[in-house]
Amino acid sequence: MMDGYFYAVLAVGVLSTVLCVGAGILKKSPNDVTIFSVALVELVLLVYLVGSIVRVIIGEKIAGEAWEFWGYLATALLLPPAAVYWSVLERTRWSNFVLGAVGVTALVMAARMNQIWY
Amino acid sequence: MTTKTTGQPRDTRNTGPGRLLIAVYAIFAISATARAGFQIATKFGEAPLAYALSAFAALVYILATVSLAKAGRTWFRISLAAVLVELIGVLVVGAISIFEPIALPHDTVWSVFGRGYGFVPLVLPVLGLIWLYRRRPAAA
Repeated sequence: MMDGYFYAVLAVGVLSTVLCVGAGILKKSPNDVTIFSVALVELVLLVYLVGSIVRVIIGEKIAGEAWEFWGYLATALLLPPAAVYWSVLERTRWSNFVLGAVGVTALVMAARMNQIWY
Repeated sequence: MTTKTTGQPRDTRNTGPGRLLIAVYAIFAISATARAGFQIATKFGEAPLAYALSAFAALVYILATVSLAKAGRTWFRISLAAVLVELIGVLVVGAISIFEPIALPHDTVWSVFGRGYGFVPLVLPVLGLIWLYRRRPAAA
């Protein structure tokens, strides 16, 4: 079973990856659009974090290993800032591919997080 | 790029496509380490061989990530060794998991040529070798 958080990460992650990889193919260096799309992934993950904390507080139980879930979420939250940092150090088209890796990775991690939760 | 220049070839592999390669290696280093750590901490007794293999794969990914980011001939050799071990690992483990599934009943990063990870573990060392070849240090 997949929940709304997963589909939100799916939508934003795919959008971000398509934008970033597209910009990379067009030989553009990271710009406002690609960096903003990665920031959007971070925003959705932060909403996922806050929402998950609220769900635990109101008594919902995580079916799998709780610390594995939080580990995935914490790691996913670190990806966008790390990729942006790594990409602004060298502003070439290749950095857009690095930014593009964030969306798909976050998407895979969100799928795993859903499996653990339910 | 500058590999053909005879003056001062830059002996680095962390620019251009190398940045993407390092980023993907870093993702695999983190996920393989976390996964191996989790498997060994919670259920090592179930399949010591598979989980030891996961830990070994994690180590190889960490080594590849760090060495690709570093300049110089020694780091180049370490990168080359790490990527070759990775390629052999994914081919051997992939073959064993298909032809002798009983030997490796539990999944590792390299099982079925990395199918669980979208076959990226199979493609990555090939791209790594191409990149290392293109950025090889000039013959001394």
